[in-house]
Amino acid sequence: MGRLCRLWPALLGAGLAVLALGPALAWGFVLRYDLVFVPDPPILPDSGGFPRAVPSDLVVALLSRVLPGELVQKGLLAGIFVLAASGAAALVPPERRVARLVAAVFYAWNIYLAQRLLLGQWALLLGVAALPWAVRATAMAPARPAARAVGSVAGWGRLVVASVPAAVGGFQAMLVTALTVAPIAVARRRVAVVGVTLGVLSLPWLVPALTSGAVTDPAGVDAFAARADGPFGVLGSLLSLGGIWNAEAGVPGQEAWWLATGRLLLALAGLYGYARMRTEERPGWWGGLAVAAAAGFGVACLGAFAPGVLKWLIGAWAGFGPLRDGQAYLAPMVLVAAVGLASLLRSGAPAVVGLLAPVLVLPTFAWGASGRLAAVPYPQEWRTVQRIVNADPAPGALLSLPWGAHRAFAWNGGRVVLDPAAKMFERRVVRDDTLLVGLPDGGRLRVRGEDPRNRLSLTGVRYVLVAGTENRFPFDLRGWTPVHQGEGLTLLRR
Amino acid sequence: MLRILAALAIGALLAVGASVAVVNVASPAPTPPNQPLYNYGTR
Repeated sequence: MGRLCRLWPALLGAGLAVLALGPALAWGFVLRYDLVFVPDPPILPDSGGFPRAVPSDLVVALLSRVLPGELVQKGLLAGIFVLAASGAAALVPPERRVARLVAAVFYAWNIYLAQRLLLGQWALLLGVAALPWAVRATAMAPARPAARAVGSVAGWGRLVVASVPAAVGGFQAMLVTALTVAPIAVARRRVAVVGVTLGVLSLPWLVPALTSGAVTDPAGVDAFAARADGPFGVLGSLLSLGGIWNAEAGVPGQEAWWLATGRLLLALAGLYGYARMRTEERPGWWGGLAVAAAAGFGVACLGAFAPGVLKWLIGAWAGFGPLRDGQAYLAPMVLVAAVGLASLLRSGAPAVVGLLAPVLVLPTFAWGASGRLAAVPYPQEWRTVQRIVNADPAPGALLSLPWGAHRAFAWNGGRVVLDPAAKMFERRVVRDDTLLVGLPDGGRLRVRGEDPRNRLSLTGVRYVLVAGTENRFPFDLRGWTPVHQGEGLTLLRR
Repeated sequence: MLRILAALAIGALLAVGASVAVVNVASPAPTPPNQPLYNYGTR
């Protein structure tokens, strides 16, 4: 019975995953903005610029050697919900069975998670989902990295395991995790062991990031700063745990005043519940997590209310670039609200309402956010061009056209997605990595790409892949042989 | 008793709000204007 009780939050997380993903669980790939999975991805693609998908793409490629890529993607997406729900519940005392479920539902069904999922940032969410486990493990970690006692080794092992999802997620997941656990580590005098652990697990992306020569365009501060996603302005949106920069990553109907009011009140109730926890009830990580939540909120506000400061920082050192999308750092505040709500609504009818409320104030997140997330199969010709290019031992890059970072294929329901060609081939893909962000007045903000090697040039190019039947342009075919001409793709070889 | 009644009232209110939101989103809407294809979203 006790074991079954411990499993309830994970089962609830699985149920929420089915409810939220809905059509995304059908056979095929979910393709939306940064959520790009491809069949048979290469193990080590030749990518340049800032290592945004390191080591997440490698892990996906390795898993795809064992399982179909479609299953890998579904497993990772569903795993986010299970990990988040079970982790948040683990931060609530086990005797409060319903309260544990309140924390589980809130942390696995909130606008932060929904908006980030609709932007396709599964790698960040993997780290966010494991945050509660990282918080717990940090508080229980040994004092020194060299501690040899069995208990200390076990404690360190727990910290490593809890940090693995963030390590797989890559830079953004790890930065959010570091922001969250750092104050706890300081308060608990675990700085060395936590620092060494997170530092080592960050090496896969940290080393290429420092050596890539990637550039960060300060214009990204204006493009990616938090924005108002409801009737309460930027501050109200952030306090409601939303406020993502991209209007198209919003949950349908989220701006309705009654839903926005419900979300704001629920989040404020959670923060209040956390603040009013009695001293003897406060776990060891209580103060550290509160500081992390305040710091994350501060970072989220920075781009919106003091963009000049952030631009100056990025101008001084490109390493501050990840702070452009500051709303991502709200994650510890989401966790604080989840634990606080569970503390406020412990049992009886209020706890039951607390159990249902997160879903009721964000009901349209259900069923793939009302159809925004759906699985589609790649047209056969994508596999054909992938086979042709990957079977060719001759060197040379592949140039992906049209010259733009994103695509909106009819077979994908017109959903905007990062060019899948970037992840499909075992050779360097030359592509436009400039990001264009639409403005409310109809204008477009241009955020320069991060890889200086991405230039529209045929030097060193062996293949040209042209996607889509629109925006065709004259192409001098002398010296180029069409090796595939299909309904949606043309592949030329030199 | 009062706590239970308050919880029931809040739960009912939330359920009505959620139903209205789902109906609003599910109801047919005019086709949105043609957006530029290759934007990384809109602010």
